[in-house]
Amino acid sequence: MRSLKRRPFVALAAVLVAALLLTACSGDRSAPAGSSSGGTGGARGDNTFRIAVGIDPDTLDPAGMTTTTVANMVDYIVETLIKIDKDGNIKPGVAESWEVAPDGRSITFELREGVQFHDGTPFNAEAVKFNIERILNPDVRMPLRASYTVIERAEVVDEHTVTLHLKEPAPYLLGALTYTAAGMISPKSVNEHGNSMTAYQHPVGTGPYALKEYTKGSQLVLEKFEDYWGEAPYYDQVVFQIVPEAATRESMLLAGQVDMIILPPTSDIPALQSNSNVRVLLAPSDRTIYAAINTQHPALQDKRVRQALNYAVNKEEIIEHVLFGAADVMDAPMAKPLLGYCQTGPYPYDPEKAKQLLQEAGATDLELEFVTPTGRYLQDYQAAQAIANFLQEVGVQVSLSTMDWPTYTATIMVPPERSTVQIHILGWAPTFMDSQQQMLQFTKDNHPPKGLASSYYTNPQVEELVAQANREVDQEKRQELYCEAAKTIWEDAPWIFLWVQRFPIVHSAKVTNISYLPNEKFDAIYARPAE
Amino acid sequence: MKRYIIRHLIAAVITLLGATFVLFLIVRLIPGDPAVVIAGPMASSEEVERIRGQLGLDRPFLEQYWTYLSRLVRGDLGVSARTQQPVLLEILARFPYTLKLAVVSAALATVTGVAAGVIAATRRYSVFDYLASFGSLLGVSMPVYWLGILLIVFFAVRLQWLPAAGAEGPGSIVLPAVTLTAYTLALVARMTRATMLEVLEQDYVRTAWAKGLPRPRIIFQHALPNALVPIITVVALQFGSLLGGAVLTESVFAWPGIGLLLVDSIFARDFPMVQGIVLVYSAMIILLNLGVDLLYAYVDPRIRYS
Repeated sequence: MRSLKRRPFVALAAVLVAALLLTACSGDRSAPAGSSSGGTGGARGDNTFRIAVGIDPDTLDPAGMTTTTVANMVDYIVETLIKIDKDGNIKPGVAESWEVAPDGRSITFELREGVQFHDGTPFNAEAVKFNIERILNPDVRMPLRASYTVIERAEVVDEHTVTLHLKEPAPYLLGALTYTAAGMISPKSVNEHGNSMTAYQHPVGTGPYALKEYTKGSQLVLEKFEDYWGEAPYYDQVVFQIVPEAATRESMLLAGQVDMIILPPTSDIPALQSNSNVRVLLAPSDRTIYAAINTQHPALQDKRVRQALNYAVNKEEIIEHVLFGAADVMDAPMAKPLLGYCQTGPYPYDPEKAKQLLQEAGATDLELEFVTPTGRYLQDYQAAQAIANFLQEVGVQVSLSTMDWPTYTATIMVPPERSTVQIHILGWAPTFMDSQQQMLQFTKDNHPPKGLASSYYTNPQVEELVAQANREVDQEKRQELYCEAAKTIWEDAPWIFLWVQRFPIVHSAKVTNISYLPNEKFDAIYARPAE
Repeated sequence: MKRYIIRHLIAAVITLLGATFVLFLIVRLIPGDPAVVIAGPMASSEEVERIRGQLGLDRPFLEQYWTYLSRLVRGDLGVSARTQQPVLLEILARFPYTLKLAVVSAALATVTGVAAGVIAATRRYSVFDYLASFGSLLGVSMPVYWLGILLIVFFAVRLQWLPAAGAEGPGSIVLPAVTLTAYTLALVARMTRATMLEVLEQDYVRTAWAKGLPRPRIIFQHALPNALVPIITVVALQFGSLLGGAVLTESVFAWPGIGLLLVDSIFARDFPMVQGIVLVYSAMIILLNLGVDLLYAYVDPRIRYS
């Protein structure tokens, strides 16, 4: 009788013990002894700089890059021939200098001497040739390959000189070569660390930090590379912690568990700005945020209607109250850091003019389906609600809905005859600072489903100017051609031109020397404790 | 008993097979093209097309399913579309975190929940009983996300006692486990109170009182064991939802378990990974149910002999 009564207890205990054993056996690989909790910023004493980011890398192969945050991490490990500075200007990387041939059909790079990869392989012209060939190899997954396919071959001139021969003049290529996707990896490394040519997961580059350990979904640990050719960074270790929730990232920073975060909850920016323990950096970026208008929809073919929509929205007010200052009103169809930018706007907030234009165009009973993603861009859904309100105020009937990103792309990436929406929010951030990338949005070749030029906009004059500019070798002339095209685009208003998003970076006041690049990247390699 | 187990095992395999088919179909019915999502907005259509070919998405549905099944029986869960790494390796790297969190939460819920329930039942209408009722109502109705953030703000940011997030060091599991356990704990406490109250009304308990047995002996030897069967059921079934329901908790606390991986994979339309993870979930739930059935038979002889 006694034993029977005890049975439930025994059973319950057995379940718990078994389960505990199960987890004990499963091991805990990510718990280095003495790890910190609630420390004091970069001065925790372990000489490690910790950064919380929101995205778990899909790949660490530079060629596979699609996400800026991931590329930003890879930039610590892998370097490009040439780089960009804060203002978008091209500067030397592992190539010391470069020269574009007068006919624009080749570029010759003089490589820096004494540079080596983390595995000791010397960085030389052969290594560059290997990397260029890998970029062009169709077996390697490389979503951004289109920007590089203009390269015909790489020629080794001597140990430290390499020439890229092009199929046609491609003035945008220099810009493309500054992006992480064109990063130089050690030729030897494709056969080591479990890597192969096509499945490359452990990058070995020439950068100031080398990859030490990557725990999926948790963290990426980098270690200072002692033989780095350039200025040595301050911290011995850099740890990227993967923290999907913005509010959690913010808490980790406030608790001193990390030294720096990107993208805090946007609505907390004012509170962070007034907190003396942290510094907020709202970095200018190249991400234009707009409401693409279906220019082929019968009610929206008249450009006066599209202009009216532009006049109807009070961008300043949305930026101030919904985006908490983390954006600048768009004053051209591209962002400032891009080569080819010239000011063409803005469209001031003028509801009377909007009503008048709608009247003139006979579009007084406009009804629009409006969609927006949620969480893809800063305050996207909230901003869309405000935009919808402004449109209602000038008499446009708007019904707004939202969906997850994959569904969203499936909704907007359809040919015009199958389109079900008339306006949708989108952000476009060129990976390199050249208007060639921005103009993809305004040319026929990129209309969905082929590309993401989802306003289906085309204008023969713009097509011609852009085609010319994309080939023009003289950079000043290019600038003029893009500017010319931009003016026409602005007038045609295929978008409700909204704002250029800023990229919020927040770091502990105990660290300093943290900057940014104009393509939504942080520049914290040379971070160090503040005095 | 042997036949009982074999019958249940066969049923389990069939259920699992059905689950794979339904799942295979469902992920392909949700809108969104994996190749487009994986390649990113700046990719050219040629690259998107190439990725689609690599993923085998250009082949007929049944052919895709057949390839999947024939690999599955060989223990091959395929290759992740997003990371190009074997699905099984990715899951094995992250499942231990989810399991650990679920086990700690279940243990916490059981011990605390049963204790609270017993006290509440034996001191009915006392201050403690009201407090426990209020607490369990709170636990059942508080959104995990909100509770998690509150705990972080209080214990990590204000007091700096525990890490806010991540899976480093022994302290890191405390906040996510407390967050995850809240619902189950509340449920167990309510369940224990209710069944205990019922048992305490039974004749044999009254007899025990009449005999003048000491109070602890009546409660812990006569009443509680008989109240435990439904509690075991709740705990075991809740364990399944602790495994599957850890998604939000993992997200809030940056806990690198498979819940987080599942969400990432769904948003990337990474079919092989979603299929792999849900297969593991289904297998766990089926095993748990099987385990509970067997446990009943062990605990209650009436089930075994009938």
